[in-house]
Amino acid sequence: MPSWIEINGLQKSLDDFQLGPISLAIEPGTITALVGNNGSGKSTLLKLVMNLANADAGTIEVFGETAAGKDESWKQKLAFHPQKIIGWDAYTGTTLKEMISSLYGEWDEALFERMVGLFDIPLDKRFGKLSQGMQQKLSLALALPRNTEVLILDEPTAFLDIPSKRHFMDLLIDWMDAKERAVIITSHQTDDLRKLADYIFVMRDGKAIGHYEKEALLESYRRYWLDRLPDGSVPGEMSRDRQQIISGDPAATEHYFAVQNITVIDHAALDLEEIIDLLLK
Amino acid sequence: MLPIRLSKESREPIYHQIEKQLKALIAGGHLTAGTPLPSIRALSKDLEISVITIRRAYQDLEAQGFIETAHGKGTYVAEIKDVLKQEVKTASVSESFERAIETARSYDYSDEEMTAIFHAILEKRKKGE
Repeated sequence: MPSWIEINGLQKSLDDFQLGPISLAIEPGTITALVGNNGSGKSTLLKLVMNLANADAGTIEVFGETAAGKDESWKQKLAFHPQKIIGWDAYTGTTLKEMISSLYGEWDEALFERMVGLFDIPLDKRFGKLSQGMQQKLSLALALPRNTEVLILDEPTAFLDIPSKRHFMDLLIDWMDAKERAVIITSHQTDDLRKLADYIFVMRDGKAIGHYEKEALLESYRRYWLDRLPDGSVPGEMSRDRQQIISGDPAATEHYFAVQNITVIDHAALDLEEIIDLLLK
Repeated sequence: MLPIRLSKESREPIYHQIEKQLKALIAGGHLTAGTPLPSIRALSKDLEISVITIRRAYQDLEAQGFIETAHGKGTYVAEIKDVLKQEVKTASVSESFERAIETARSYDYSDEEMTAIFHAILEKRKKGE
């Protein structure tokens, strides 16, 4: 399947921070989560995709068009929900909706109204007067109804309460099901990753650590409880603690146990959070 | 939500676990012909499994005739032949016996001893214990 977004060898220097080189492709029908420590460059990467900053090297193509070009008509196909919104404070929800809906030919008024009802958003208040959670809800209600092919969400659920998080997930699932679409999401909420992500792109201090399909990532780690820990290091070993070994290469580890006649008392998969923690160390 | 429970500890691939459990629900008559199934994306969220894996399970089930996809209408449980239902049931029972036999073998039980235990259990159930 041809990619909708293709990032190749992207680099950017900001003061003493160096992003990249980053290469990443986004396929239709998928949700890709960008995961990394604070300051890993996720938001910078998203800004570069939206052509809100200039790269020092590398290319970004969005639906075959170069994102850094003068012609930004591709932006009709991408909706961006930034972490921090600048310039909305003085406007009410109603005014913001009128401004934004007029820019998108496919604007879904019914979906907007549904989200306003679900999230109980006061449209007559100025954006700057709303709580962080309410600002996030309004901003999401102004993002999904744009009906773009791609939705880029930078920390969309950080300030949402538990029922709103659930509503948001259900809305996003319906939105993905309505037609062929793709989502790029950054999140520190493991629930978002577990329930939404198909692919996980891990970044650490500006560098790409890896791009994984979720199950493949989960299957590439395993924890073993042994009757005795071998003295030397075990193939694939990432850490050990008392009778326990965590392996990043289960096949090699199990082969070694078999050859060395080491009895495995029990074994278990790691959860996503533990794996990400290992990757970000 | 479908009553599917995945074991992430098992070495059996996740797509295979999904296929097997859906087949069992269909063959056991819990999901009847024409029942709509969740979309790939919705099931992916419920089971916390990527759409890539769910799609694979759905494609396999469709190829084997258990489910059907009507364009624009989603996925439904297909009308399946009794022979196929029987196959699934037999396969599921065989698998449970296989596991029991494996446990018995690991304790070095002979075939005769195993058969004796099997008959003892049947007797016990007959008495309604």
